[in-house]
Amino acid sequence: MIDAIKNRAISIRRVFAGRKVAALGAIWLCIVLVAAVFAPWVAPFDPLEIDPVARLTEPGAPYLFGTDHFGRDTFSRALHGARMAILIGVGSVLIALILGGLVGMLSAYFTKLGHVLMRAVDVLMAFPALLLALVLMTLLERSVANTIIVIGLVYAATTSRILFGMTLKLKNDVFIDAARCSGAGHFSLLFRHILPNLLSPLLVQATFIFAFAQLQAAALDFLGLGLPPEVPSWGNMLSEERIYITRAPWLLLFPGLLIIFSVFSVNLVGDAMRDSLDPRFKDDIAGV
Amino acid sequence: MALLEVENLEIAVAGQSEWLPVVEDCSFSVDNNQTLGIVGESGCGKSLTAMAIMGLLEQSQVNITNGKIWLDGENLLDMSAGDRRRIMGDTMSMIFQEPMTSLNPVYRIGDQIVEALRQHRKMTSAEYRTRALQLLEMVNIPDFQQRINSYPHQLSGGQRQRVMIAMALSCDPKLLIADEPTTALDVTVQNEVLELMLDLQRRTGTAIILISHDMGVIAQTCDEVAVMYRGRIIESSTTAGLFANVLHPYTRGLLNSIPAIDSETEWLDAIPGRVPMLEEKLSGCAFHPRCSYSQPKCADTLPAALSIGESHLVRCHFAGELEL
Amino acid sequence: MSEPLLDVQGLKVYFSNPATRLFSAHDAIKAVDGVSFQIAPGEVLSLVGESGCGKTTVGRVLTRLEKATAGRVSFSGHDMLDMSQHEFRPLRRHIQMIFQDPFASLNPRLTIEQTLQEPLMIHKLAHNRAEARRLVVDMLEKVGMGADVLGRFPHEFSGGQRQRIGIARAMIVKPQLIIADEPVSALDVSIQAQVLNLLKRLQAESGVAMLFISHDLAVVRHISNRIAVMHEGRIVELAQKTRLFEQPEHDYTQRLLKAIPRIPTSLGA
Repeated sequence: MIDAIKNRAISIRRVFAGRKVAALGAIWLCIVLVAAVFAPWVAPFDPLEIDPVARLTEPGAPYLFGTDHFGRDTFSRALHGARMAILIGVGSVLIALILGGLVGMLSAYFTKLGHVLMRAVDVLMAFPALLLALVLMTLLERSVANTIIVIGLVYAATTSRILFGMTLKLKNDVFIDAARCSGAGHFSLLFRHILPNLLSPLLVQATFIFAFAQLQAAALDFLGLGLPPEVPSWGNMLSEERIYITRAPWLLLFPGLLIIFSVFSVNLVGDAMRDSLDPRFKDDIAGV
Repeated sequence: MALLEVENLEIAVAGQSEWLPVVEDCSFSVDNNQTLGIVGESGCGKSLTAMAIMGLLEQSQVNITNGKIWLDGENLLDMSAGDRRRIMGDTMSMIFQEPMTSLNPVYRIGDQIVEALRQHRKMTSAEYRTRALQLLEMVNIPDFQQRINSYPHQLSGGQRQRVMIAMALSCDPKLLIADEPTTALDVTVQNEVLELMLDLQRRTGTAIILISHDMGVIAQTCDEVAVMYRGRIIESSTTAGLFANVLHPYTRGLLNSIPAIDSETEWLDAIPGRVPMLEEKLSGCAFHPRCSYSQPKCADTLPAALSIGESHLVRCHFAGELEL
Repeated sequence: MSEPLLDVQGLKVYFSNPATRLFSAHDAIKAVDGVSFQIAPGEVLSLVGESGCGKTTVGRVLTRLEKATAGRVSFSGHDMLDMSQHEFRPLRRHIQMIFQDPFASLNPRLTIEQTLQEPLMIHKLAHNRAEARRLVVDMLEKVGMGADVLGRFPHEFSGGQRQRIGIARAMIVKPQLIIADEPVSALDVSIQAQVLNLLKRLQAESGVAMLFISHDLAVVRHISNRIAVMHEGRIVELAQKTRLFEQPEHDYTQRLLKAIPRIPTSLGA
């Protein structure tokens, strides 16, 4: 157990060794995570509390990021927005990986099933991701759960494509033949022999989906098709306050910066993980 | 002075925290019309030595830390990168192990030969084509007039290796380095390719360094042999001299490990253990942990290269005293 | 000859050729084109030939990793090719395979113990972890490795050690037939000798029959009882080993024998 922890610590160190910017990204993500978890306790105001007297107050005490046109505290709303960001990110990553992963693996493993499933995936992938999400959202009610499901579905398609290719290659590896000769059945071949070899690329894929999900959710919110308007999310904040861009630019500045920093950080961490997990970089020694 | 003289060559590879020596104190020479065989197991440094001579170690992971490589009286290691590139493929050239991957799959073989020529020779396009045809004929490609327009995947493994040889010989090199040129080929094809190399040598006088793990190939092809173990040449001699009088226990062990084709034995006389990893530090003779004749002295002191008889060098404290 | 353990009759394996042009019809490659042979219990039969002669495909059909186009294979009386994968499962234990590339044939994510335990559990040869571990340790000892390797992963081992693990995986279920596909050709000369000795010793001790597939006639001579020479999908000559080496009949066999580079034997040895 202690060894396992130690190994993990070493590998985290390896991911960020010599990649200072990525380490900063990881720190930023930790801050967002803490903000999300403790938002109800840390936030100085209720994010939904309307105070007509204090509308469009400039940043300063007691409203750190100022207030919006209802007089709601932008800082508190941003903290709760972090909550939404993490929720949507984690939720859609889970859906995309589990659904896309299963479809990809099964399609590659069972050739005939693959012919059918992968054609369906091809059709989904013929639409640009945002367009597909828009179409699906117009069919559904605006809610947190639906937003997560739709974004997850959209990225399940890309994930299944990637896993399809990797499983196809793994399936023909000699050690799979060897396991077959040992008598391993389909379930064991898929989940005991193939899946563990896909975990590192899946992890990397997860970070990129997480980043894209943020952008996608913000875009949907902005177009008025994402989360319900009363939910404090960074995308909704941008959408609602966009008409005040000249009078109260801070209302767009703060949520905009939060989205940019978070997406950028996730991408940096994803790149760092990919580089350190890619066997071609395995023997690369930092500093030589 | 011989055409190529390698003097105390030392190569190191970047390890976790320090440079690990992979080739140490390696000296040999080869002259026109001569074939030198370098034999050893994987990881003994034979390929790195070849790459050092060719100038293919220009990366941060591997470094030449000491030594001189004299070609025609000039030290290659003192040359500028540009000068070395001019020699590479011209005065000396190399054939690699993989005939499948060393040709570019999207170009016709004729164009690839011309491309190799273009680097070093100025000719008209008609002359390039004539020369390419001439080379393909020289390496016995059947229907070479048509084959010149083929893509690599349309040729068999043996034919591809012949094309590689044609490319290597396009500028009449004085030195040809062949790194396991027949390892990926079938035995019947292997013979033809080796014969071809020797035949071309008789005609052009090229010096050849043949790197192989196969004692049979070396015995059949080379004039002189150097046996490498863990980065050092532990025994070298003329081929006839070596096989008539094996002096190093490792060379003997290697020969005993090979099942005989013309006789039968119940058990093979295998060398115990394995080739030590690069990270493992060994004092004294690198072979002592696996050597059945090992004495305390072997673990302490590195044996010097002893000259025994005519041109037979051996690095063993007990050279000549052992019943091998 | 006593009742054969394995009887292969007129085996054919054709592959459809991925067409040379994008949309044209596929034509068949005859990888194996009418091969027949028998293996007696405890016998070592070698299949030699050059690359592309179909020897590996024969081995893969016998382990059902590849489908046969035509022919009949019976293994201790059971007609193997007609069985469904499900019916074949109990037989699977008795036909084990050793692969050529020791770097590719072990799952990099499983420990040595997990790799060796798997066949025991699948074929219900061990009923609990402790029993399985005991069998695994016994087997490791037979291939010259200690119990200290149990929790380690394949990348920590050299090629020769991995091949020992591969042999252990095949032998641990006590099969009746082992298909060894070029088991030593990826190894260094000095390691190759160790592994060959090990294979020969384990074969003699356990009395398992073996189909030894190789391109190296010297290795084949060392290990087998009988030898079948394959060329372009057919067996051109099948004979007792001494006879094959001393009086080769087919001119392809003669050509093959002549092509092998000989090592001059010194006076001392």
